Parts: sequence; structure tokens; C-alpha cells
Amino acid sequence: MNLNIDAGKGGKKQKIQVDAPGKKKKSNASLESKKARAGWIFVLPFVLGFFLIYVPIIFDSIKYSFNEIKILVGGGYRLEFVGWKNYSDALLVDTSYVTTLVGGLKQLILDIPSIVIFSLFVAIVLNQKIIGRAAFRAIFFIPVILTTGLISDIDRANTLSSYMENSAGIDDGSGQESQATQIISVMDVERLFDNMMVGTEIVEYVVQMVNNIFNIVNRCGVQMLIFLSGLQSISPAIYESCSIDGASGWETFWKITLPMVSPMILVNTVYTIIDAFTADDNAVMRYISTVYEQADGNVLSSAMSWMYFLIVILILAAVAGILSGFIFYQRRD
Amino acid sequence: MNNAQTAPKIKKETKNTIKVEFEDRTPFWERVKAKLVNLYTLKKVIYYIFRLVLLLGISYVILFPFFSKISSSFMAKEDFVDVTVVLIPKHPNLEIYRAIIKDNKYWEALLNTFILSLVCAVIQTFICMFIAYGFAKFKFKGNGILFLCVLFTLVVPHATLQLSLFMKFRYFDVLGIINFLGGGVVDAINVTGGKTSINFINSNWPLYILSLTGLAYKNGLYIFMLRQFFRGIPDELEESAYLDGSGIMRTFFSIIIPLSTTMMITVFMFAFCWQWTDNFYTDLFYTTAGDKLLPDIIKIPKSLDTNYAGQSLYSSAITNTCGILIITPLIILYLFGQRYIVQGIERAGLTAD
Repeated sequence: MNLNIDAGKGGKKQKIQVDAPGKKKKSNASLESKKARAGWIFVLPFVLGFFLIYVPIIFDSIKYSFNEIKILVGGGYRLEFVGWKNYSDALLVDTSYVTTLVGGLKQLILDIPSIVIFSLFVAIVLNQKIIGRAAFRAIFFIPVILTTGLISDIDRANTLSSYMENSAGIDDGSGQESQATQIISVMDVERLFDNMMVGTEIVEYVVQMVNNIFNIVNRCGVQMLIFLSGLQSISPAIYESCSIDGASGWETFWKITLPMVSPMILVNTVYTIIDAFTADDNAVMRYISTVYEQADGNVLSSAMSWMYFLIVILILAAVAGILSGFIFYQRRD
Repeated sequence: MNNAQTAPKIKKETKNTIKVEFEDRTPFWERVKAKLVNLYTLKKVIYYIFRLVLLLGISYVILFPFFSKISSSFMAKEDFVDVTVVLIPKHPNLEIYRAIIKDNKYWEALLNTFILSLVCAVIQTFICMFIAYGFAKFKFKGNGILFLCVLFTLVVPHATLQLSLFMKFRYFDVLGIINFLGGGVVDAINVTGGKTSINFINSNWPLYILSLTGLAYKNGLYIFMLRQFFRGIPDELEESAYLDGSGIMRTFFSIIIPLSTTMMITVFMFAFCWQWTDNFYTDLFYTTAGDKLLPDIIKIPKSLDTNYAGQSLYSSAITNTCGILIITPLIILYLFGQRYIVQGIERAGLTAD
């Protein structure tokens, strides 16, 4: 292979003859530039789509957010430039946008660690040798495929299953929580944690996480898959030498597993943030789409979602920046 | 321990095994005790039980909604007001199913959605493989920046683009080409300024076009996954193919694609299922006048009378039954394809670098 590249680069064809009978030596381009061209051909669909469709759409969306749409009588509409009016309307005039935004963001930020931790935990358990591992894996990945879009819409409006399991009391995503349907009540946990000198915030967080289990399980399928693939790339020899040195499972987890999957933690955190913030069923997105469906609410919803998007990008950058400081990369060479 | 010298008595001898009896061997029960009754075993057993209970519990959380939906879909009207009925219907029947299939035109919606999802999923799988292969194996100027663009499309929430996506496909024209060629129709002169454009609303074209350009739902994720996978394939494989005189395209089709069938199936299943249950794009691109798709069947059938005491439960059971009817094909697909998903992701060897 190297010979071929050298021959191409120097252009001295007579020096090194690569046997290729019946093949015309016509191109003077080196293999590298040929490959670069091929690379462009491969990514061409995306490049075309991105610059011809996606970028105009993005610009339109930004443009709309600075305009007002006047529907005309003969069908069609006229844009009227209004500057920052939509943005100030969203922030100052609309009463519930800011509260929804703050509440929704808080909820999402609380959800993200629990999703990442839970999916890591489940991935570790599913990676061990247990009876019926294949069956458990199959069950755990069901939500990835089935509980999306339409089905989660149906679930949200579901009064039936909360009625059916009143006694069992597990959150089913119907969003109808009552004291009776919570697995653990705050009181019990507070009593348990009373002497542990941890703040009430942590207690509430744990309680909320447990009661929200359906939501969390439903949203960590892809993350589990990513963690599983990461766990399987860790060489068993490392674990073996650890156990020979007398490390306990606890130590092995903190000193081997966690550093080795830390790149996956970054990937998963970023993915979870993106997934949670852009999911159609989070509070902010739902609010934005209700605004979109209102009369004349189209441009307002554009402005709202651009503000939301900026916040998401900022959070994403901050989290990725902080996390990447803690990541351990195994040197491969 | 010098009884090793005394020749053990042979109990039974076959061709392959010899059973020997040691005279002063530790009794069986003591051996068992020494082996099993200790803290180490206890710890293991407790951990084992804990793990099993936990997994069963989470599986229950995942599966219970499906069970409750399925059981309620077979219930008769009376069962919803009967306090003694919780999960097992007293008067099992297929009334709800029959009504939905007939009144809401289930088969028509199923067929339309099937065609849409299949075409989209096939296109997305191949296009994403193409794009990802380009990003993974070829060094060209702008590779990194373009890949950032891919990730960018993943980050922007749908809702941000709702209005402009609709407008784009309502008055579709790329760089004025359609106007130049004279195709399309002039409608709404106020918008387009007299230029012609094509109205793609209520057709499958918006989704096909998005799929063809790798911009459809979560395609950034597929490209990312496939790129990581292709990076794991050693370069030597392709180089030897080039040496044997195979071109780049031929190498891709005859070497790379056969190697990545599991990943392909994974991506295909994601694309198919997510398109199947999607309601964002279908709400956006299809108005009520258009083809019937699966989201349209979620409504109370006319022939079912919900106006009685158990109304809220009954109507939510009907909606749930619609849900079951929608996902049944997916469950069948999942039963066949789930092992590929697990394998596919495991082989992807996703890393952050």
C-alpha cells in the first residue's frame, strides 16, 4: 500500500511498478486526494441536505422569531419586522413561560444525574452473569423502542393504570401522583435519614427519584446500551489482576470500572441532556407546542424555543466542560 | 497428610472415569459445610437475591403498563364500574378491538404507516451508513466541522423548527430550481412573490427528503453510532481490498456492508420504530385531509357508547387499546430483532474519543 502512495506522490511511475494488469495508469491524483474525494461523495447527502434544507430552515426560524406574521385574506401571509418584540413578549407578557421554563429546567437538571447513574447501575448488573440475562436485557430495552412518541402521549393521559395499581402504587407515567400511589412516602424516608445528618434536599431528591422510577427507566434505554458496550470493552485481565491483588468489588468499581467507563459517562450525560431537553414530552416543549397551536402564536413559539435552545446549549457546554476534566482516557499506544 | 501413599480403593472404573474411594476422607456433610457455610457464600447469596429482586422489580415496572393495557382492552363495559374487577376481566370480549378496527379504519392507517416507516427506515439506514462511513474512514478538509454540524442537528429541538419546517415543505423549492424549470404551482403569491413551488404537505415526500439527507428524527445519533462502529473496523481490511484492485465503492458494498449487518439491523429497527410511533412529523406534515396514519386512529370509535358511570376509565381503556393496536407490529419486530440491538451496540464500541 505504501508503495502505491509513494508512487503516486512523487509521480515517478517508472521507479516502482505496482502490478495491476489491465489497469490504466491515468490518474495523477494521489491516493489520498482520491480518498478525500471519495469521502466527500460519501458525506454528500448530508452536506446537500444541511446547506440546502437545514440551514435555510434554521435561518427562517430565526427570521420568524423577529417578525410578526400577518395572515392575508387571499391565503398566505406577510412578515412584519418587529425586532425583539416576540422575545420580550415571551419573557414579560406571557405569564407562564418563565415559570414553566424555570420549573422545567430544574426538573430536567435533577433528572439527568439519576438517569445516568441508574443506567450505569443497570448496565453493570446486566453485564454480570445472571440467570435469564438475555430475557432481562430484552425487557429493559423495550422502552427504547415502544414507549416513544405516540405511546408516551397515550400514557400521559392514562387514568386507567393508575386506578388499577392503586394498591401497588408505582408511578406509571400518567403524572397523577397522590400520597397513596407513592412507593415510599417522604415521611418514612425522612425518619430513616433523620440521624444521618444529610440535608432534606437530598432526601427529597431520593424520594422523588424513586417515585419517578417509571420515567427514569423509560428514558435510559440508549444510555444503558452505551454503558454496556463500554463495560464490555474493559479487558477481563484487569479485573483478574485486581482480584488477585485482593481488591474487593467496591474498590474494583471505584478504581477500575468507573475510570474505564468515564468516557461513556460523558457521552451519556451529553446524550441524556440532549434527549431530555428536546423530548416532546417535557414541560417546556409541551408549553411551547401549546403556544404554537394558538392563533398567532407561531412566531412567539419560535422566539420561545430559540431562547430555550440557547439555554440548553449553555447547559450542555457547561456540563461537558466540567465533566471532560474528570475523564480518564486509556492510552492505547 | 501422609495417607497419600496408601493406595485408594477403586470403586468403579469405566473407559473414561475412575471413581476412587479414600478411606479417611472428610465426611460429605462437613465438606459441604466448610464450603458453603461461611460469610463469603452468605454475601454472595444475599447479593444474588438482591440483584434478582431488583431486576424483577424493574422488569415489573416496565411490563406492568403493558399488562394493564392488554387486560383492560378485553374488558366489557360493565367491568369498569365493577369494583371487584382489577386486572382480570369478568366478561372478556373483543368489542373494543372490533370497534377500533372498523370505525377508525385501522388497516388503512396501518398500511400507510407501514409503507412510510419502511421506506424511511431503509433510506435512513443506508444514507446514514454512507455518511458515517465517509466521516469515519476518509480524511478530508472539513471532516471535523461537518461532523459537528451533524451533532448540531441532533441538539436543536424539533419545536424550534416547527414553523419553518412546515413552511419549507409547504412552499418547497431549492435554490429556485423548481421555479426555474417551471414546475410547481403558483399559490399564495403574497408568500412566494409569484414564484412557483411545490406543496409537499399531505404527502410522504417531506419525510423521504429529510431521510435522504440524513436530517430525519435522531439521524445524528445513527450517524454517530455508525461512525464509531466503522472506526473499529481495521483499515488493513480495506487496504487489502484496494490492493486487490477493488474500488472504494465496491469495497464499501462488498466488504463493509456485510461486516456491519448487526449495526444495520439496529439502526433500521430504531429508525423504523421511531418513525412508526412518531407524532411530531406526522402532525406537522399531514393535515386531516391527508392519508390516514396511525396517530389518527387514537380516538373514541363512534359505535362505542362511553356515556355512563365508568366513562373516564372506559375511554382511557379505549385509547390504550389503540396504543396496543399501534405497537403490536413493533412488538413482533422487536421479538425478532432485539438480540441484534444488543449485539449491534455492543460491537459499536462507543467511545468518546
